[in-house]
Amino acid sequence: MSDLSEHHSQDLRPMLKVTDLSHRVSLETDTLTILQGVNLEINRGESVAIVGRSGSGKTTLLGLLAGLDTPTEGTVELDGAMISQLGEDERAQLRSRRVGFVFQSFQLLPALTALENVMLPLELSGSTGPEAKAKELLERVGLGERLYHTPRQLSGGEQQRVAIARAFASEPAVLFADEPTGNLDNRTGHDVSDLLMTLNREQGTTLVMVTHDERLAARCGRQFSIEAGVLTEPARSAEAETGAVN
Amino acid sequence: MAASQKLMSVRRDWRERDVRVVLSALIIAVATVATIALFASQLQRTLVTSASSFLAADRQLESENGREIPEAWLEEASSRRIQTARMVEFSTMVYGADNFQLVSVKAVNDAYPLRGQVEIQEGADAPRQLVTSGPAPGEVWVNPRLLRLLELEVGDTLDVGNRQLNISGLLVREPDGGFRMSSLAPRVMMHSSDVASTEVIQEGSRVEYVYLFAGDEGALNNYYSWLQPQLEPSHEWEGVRDGETFSESLQRAERFLLLGGSLAVMLAAVAVAVASRQYAMSQRDTVALLKTLGVNSKGIGRLYLRRLGLWGLVGAIGGLLVALPLFWLLSSVLGDVLEQQVDMHLDPNALAPALLTALVSLFAFAYPPIRRLKNVPAMRVLRSQPGESGREAIPDMAIAIFAIFGLVWMYAREVSLVLALLGGLALLLGTLAMLGWVLVTTLRKISGGGNAWRLALVGLYRHRRASLSQIAVFAMTLMLAATLILVRTSLLDDWQAQLPDDAPNHFLINIAPDAVDGVEEFWAERGQPLRDLYPMVRGRLTELNGQPVKEAVTKEERVGALNRELNLTWMESLPDDNEIVSGQWFRPGDQRGVSIEAELAGKLGVEVGDELGFTIGSDKVTETVTSIRTVQWDSIKPNFYMAFPPGGGLDDMPATWITAFYLPRDQKSALNEFSRQFPTVSLLEVDHIIERIQEIVRQVTQAIEAILALILAAALVVMAAVVSATMQERQREGALLRTLGGRQSLLVRSTMLEFALLGFFAGILGVIAAEAAVWALQFRVFEGQFQWHWQAILPIPVISALVLALFGRWQLKPVLSVSPMLLLRRLE
Repeated sequence: MSDLSEHHSQDLRPMLKVTDLSHRVSLETDTLTILQGVNLEINRGESVAIVGRSGSGKTTLLGLLAGLDTPTEGTVELDGAMISQLGEDERAQLRSRRVGFVFQSFQLLPALTALENVMLPLELSGSTGPEAKAKELLERVGLGERLYHTPRQLSGGEQQRVAIARAFASEPAVLFADEPTGNLDNRTGHDVSDLLMTLNREQGTTLVMVTHDERLAARCGRQFSIEAGVLTEPARSAEAETGAVN
Repeated sequence: MAASQKLMSVRRDWRERDVRVVLSALIIAVATVATIALFASQLQRTLVTSASSFLAADRQLESENGREIPEAWLEEASSRRIQTARMVEFSTMVYGADNFQLVSVKAVNDAYPLRGQVEIQEGADAPRQLVTSGPAPGEVWVNPRLLRLLELEVGDTLDVGNRQLNISGLLVREPDGGFRMSSLAPRVMMHSSDVASTEVIQEGSRVEYVYLFAGDEGALNNYYSWLQPQLEPSHEWEGVRDGETFSESLQRAERFLLLGGSLAVMLAAVAVAVASRQYAMSQRDTVALLKTLGVNSKGIGRLYLRRLGLWGLVGAIGGLLVALPLFWLLSSVLGDVLEQQVDMHLDPNALAPALLTALVSLFAFAYPPIRRLKNVPAMRVLRSQPGESGREAIPDMAIAIFAIFGLVWMYAREVSLVLALLGGLALLLGTLAMLGWVLVTTLRKISGGGNAWRLALVGLYRHRRASLSQIAVFAMTLMLAATLILVRTSLLDDWQAQLPDDAPNHFLINIAPDAVDGVEEFWAERGQPLRDLYPMVRGRLTELNGQPVKEAVTKEERVGALNRELNLTWMESLPDDNEIVSGQWFRPGDQRGVSIEAELAGKLGVEVGDELGFTIGSDKVTETVTSIRTVQWDSIKPNFYMAFPPGGGLDDMPATWITAFYLPRDQKSALNEFSRQFPTVSLLEVDHIIERIQEIVRQVTQAIEAILALILAAALVVMAAVVSATMQERQREGALLRTLGGRQSLLVRSTMLEFALLGFFAGILGVIAAEAAVWALQFRVFEGQFQWHWQAILPIPVISALVLALFGRWQLKPVLSVSPMLLLRRLE
């Protein structure tokens, strides 16, 4: 209950707020700047695509937004929590309650069945009746018949659908997707992205996706492009006009 | 089952190859250690029992002053739950039919023997039987030779002093038929309750009272601590360990078993370490994902710690389940060899090292890389992060080496053993580092091509880190196995040399100078020429550098050799098994000087150049010590404390001659004729002792072979584990090569070559390190001579190359049988 009321009180605040974010890694000889001066605000329920070529820094940005890593400079605020200032364990706790992921390489645990892979985040966050819920989600993504197959027995598209079911299982406030169709053929990729968009809409999740696929990006409410660590919002779609501040 | 629980289920883990390797290694570790420990403890008990039966007890107390020991001493022993038996030995003339004969009587009470069995026959042609008692009151068992001398048969009576006793059996072997110069006369065994009625023992008779003790080792030691201060110089306490016969060989066998056990521990540790490191690598993605899903570092740490605990449990239980049947099997084989019932004894103390091995293996070898999993960044789910640089492995290695040597020490309690192995290992790693450098600098220049050799060399270079670590593990495994093989070979050779099939089994003593030629002729005619005849002069060592020796040596009563007459001899050349440790052996023509046995010299503090005075009859002989030599007391040959040069100080002294020779069993009848022809010559038959010793050597040899086989099997498993650790990567490469158009035959040849090269390098390294370890071991632990083992240096690298080539071929199998596309997908 308290969770819900907290939700309401924060409803008006942006889901993600990034301020003056920079990220550098030190190499043996010099320092490499990966992200520079990124500012970004994403509202609840929005779907956002970050488009860029390989090596442009988009995956690093996604990792920072999701709290998988901490930036060298600047702040990241996720659902009201200043995650760039939280410790590793606190960020982990936040992720288990608020964040879902879909990866390019699916990242299913090979030894677990489809059902068990979906149940895992539910159990980790202590949800009740994880099995029923996982089954329902797998039905929803069209894999009701493949509950007990292990990832190796599933095709790439099927594996990604399991991953999507897993991502939505814990009803995350925000879903991060890293090239979700990158390892799939056009047709399958299209089906998977349909599914992702549909579930996202139904559950009112905030979606942040990085991709180099312009067509997939076009299905999101807003698009940003990133190049050499600098984020820009080239074409702002009309309905998002008021939302973003660069 | 819940998914998160299932993450920790052993059944699920089992589906992962690396876990299978860790668990198998663990099971093998526990099984090997438990089997060896159980078997070694069983063998040790059997050996000690065998050896104890040389005394017919665990300890003997001899009273040589003609008086019995206080009754309180025996009561004290009983109160400490120590079994006792008593016997009395004396010489007397016996009478039967119309002949007299001097015999050596042993009268025993009902408790005799406490260890071992007496072997008797009910008639000359009756089957031999083993019994656990002496003759009943009123009966005697006698040496077959006595019957021949007295022309009696079983069932006749024998007069011993004033008693007539019934000859109820032939004494074939007594368990304490130790071999002493005094027991020259034929043996008569009777019951001690009959002794008084024979009235043979009178005031001043030469009688030896012997008391037998058997019981728990600790109780015996405590009892001896209690007893020792009360003992007089004429009392002699004897244990298995200080009996002359073969005790050194027993100790070496024991050390060999310990060495085997230690090597098993090391092998197991290597397997666990390799597999768990591999497992930790493979778990990095899972950890990153779990972190992404919100599990914190502490949770990850707990997860894997619990998993390790679970593995430990499975490894320990599984290992014991494997070890027990193996132990039964080995023990029953041992029973067959011994031709006696081996009572199975599950020594719980022997299981402790196995369980401790499991624990240490897990926490010293498996845990360090797994512990670091919690540091894997969550970011890894998005982008593969640099893996471990290998620098982290250095503290792991330090912990591992420390733990390995801790384990070996716990196991063998032998610092020199640990140091020898450590030295071998250090040499191995040093050479490996050099080899790595050579590999990197020379192979770099080779570029790939369609030729299998080039491809193999390029493969070695490309996998140089994996190759080097695999070579390290293989070399270590080979070093351990080779050490064991080399030590075993030299140990067995030693024994064989010490006890060849034609080892002398009869002694002729007291040969008068004028009978020497006749005796030599007698045996030459029967095809058994006598080899070494030694003159023997009885004399006492009485002076040391002009001073009475009992004043010169403060603890003289501790030196038994001073209390009795010594057998002095003269000889031209040094016996083969003697070794000069100081000074110089007589040169041809030397007539002065004396050579003294090293141990006695040590006790007396005698050095080369000291003057020794001997009293021989009424004469005195003084000679300067010219050499100190070691004597192989456990060889069954005439051995002497003092040796003079021919024509030296002993020249005019009254001497008799002694010799030892081999007489096959089927020629024993010649002994009767010999006794008739040379009645004054004493004959000592030690063939039963020799047979017994040879039997023990056979047992120990069998045990050593069994343990060796077990360890070699473990070594093979370690190698398989290591090969399978990089299997996936190599399979992927193979699939790629095929996809890119590589012919199957090229792939097979280059892979087998690559592995053969790996095996060859590892073999060379392993053998070098093993030679170093063996050198140290021979030197410190087994007190033998070191020599290069050329017969092992060549085959081992070749065999290891072959074995590894086959392993390489085996792991390539899936790559060859499945379409490359399917394989690449499967390996995704």
